[in-house]
Amino acid sequence: MTAPFTLHGFWRGARDGVPLGLSILVYGLAFGLVASQALLSLGQALAMSAAVYSGSAQLAALNLMQTGQMTLTTLAATIMVINARYILFGAALRPWLGQTTPLKAYGSLLLLGDANWIFTMKAIQSGEQDRAYLAGSGVPMFAGWLVGTAVGLTSGSMLPSPHTLGVDLMLPAFAAAMMAAMMKTRASLLPVIAGAGVALAVGQVAGAGWAIIAAGLAGAVLAAALWRPSGGV
Amino acid sequence: MPSLLPPYGDPQAGFDMPSFTTMLLIMAAAAFACRAAGYLVVSFLPQSARLESALRATPLSVMAGITALAVVNGTLADAMALGSVVALTFLIGNDLIAALAGVAIVALLRSLGL
Repeated sequence: MTAPFTLHGFWRGARDGVPLGLSILVYGLAFGLVASQALLSLGQALAMSAAVYSGSAQLAALNLMQTGQMTLTTLAATIMVINARYILFGAALRPWLGQTTPLKAYGSLLLLGDANWIFTMKAIQSGEQDRAYLAGSGVPMFAGWLVGTAVGLTSGSMLPSPHTLGVDLMLPAFAAAMMAAMMKTRASLLPVIAGAGVALAVGQVAGAGWAIIAAGLAGAVLAAALWRPSGGV
Repeated sequence: MPSLLPPYGDPQAGFDMPSFTTMLLIMAAAAFACRAAGYLVVSFLPQSARLESALRATPLSVMAGITALAVVNGTLADAMALGSVVALTFLIGNDLIAALAGVAIVALLRSLGL
């Protein structure tokens, strides 16, 4: 309970999160547009973006509501199936984030997204001690998501296309770059090959979300199997 | 595209739509449950260096998985940009700049019709 959680670390994370926030804003425009077609009010769309804070889950939930067949159980199940990868992400954060108070830890987890999880795990490997980094890197993304939602809903059109701007490649690009930066030893090739192979195999039969979970589990199982008391792989 | 309305609470709605507030609370709870569950569960597992090593290995595999999926599901431009990102990271040693360059590269390649 003594790990630092300071404004300094928060700003360090926020600074790193700015490019993420800009790309997520463009995705927020897309959600806002779909929300306007579903006749959500601005307040409803913003509340949904703030409460769920996950593009794919929000689109699936809106889709479900529009079928007229929705129950509260199917609504909850839809969100949880699409966001299941966050269970793995949260687990991986525990050894590091668990060294702050529960309030700070769970508050930070509210701002957990794909990209800032990658950023934070990379920062942890590079020796980041300040537990406020996670929340800091999440804030520009969260803000971008809300601004995008509002602009997309009120303008009712998608001016910049994510594809033309290349922002659909933002998450893979950061994943590739941080993967390369974290490959310090020959042994680190193993989790890379396992993750890529398993993701591609599972991606053939299930959605990208499950492929990502399977990749992470493959890396974890591999590391557990290869672990030796002398320090491991 | 079917609309979400008739408005919530409209007596003419053909089915009992829960109020938006109820749906919002359910969605928020489900989303937070996923973000908190893994974090919570690990604290109940017996702590060991092996478990910590396993958890520490997940990001590298996840990043490789995300990259591989993007290459396979994307166009040639996507693959070239992601290849450049890896090469640039090794060359210049700055992952942030390499990633942003990759986005610029893919936007350029796409504008060229690739």
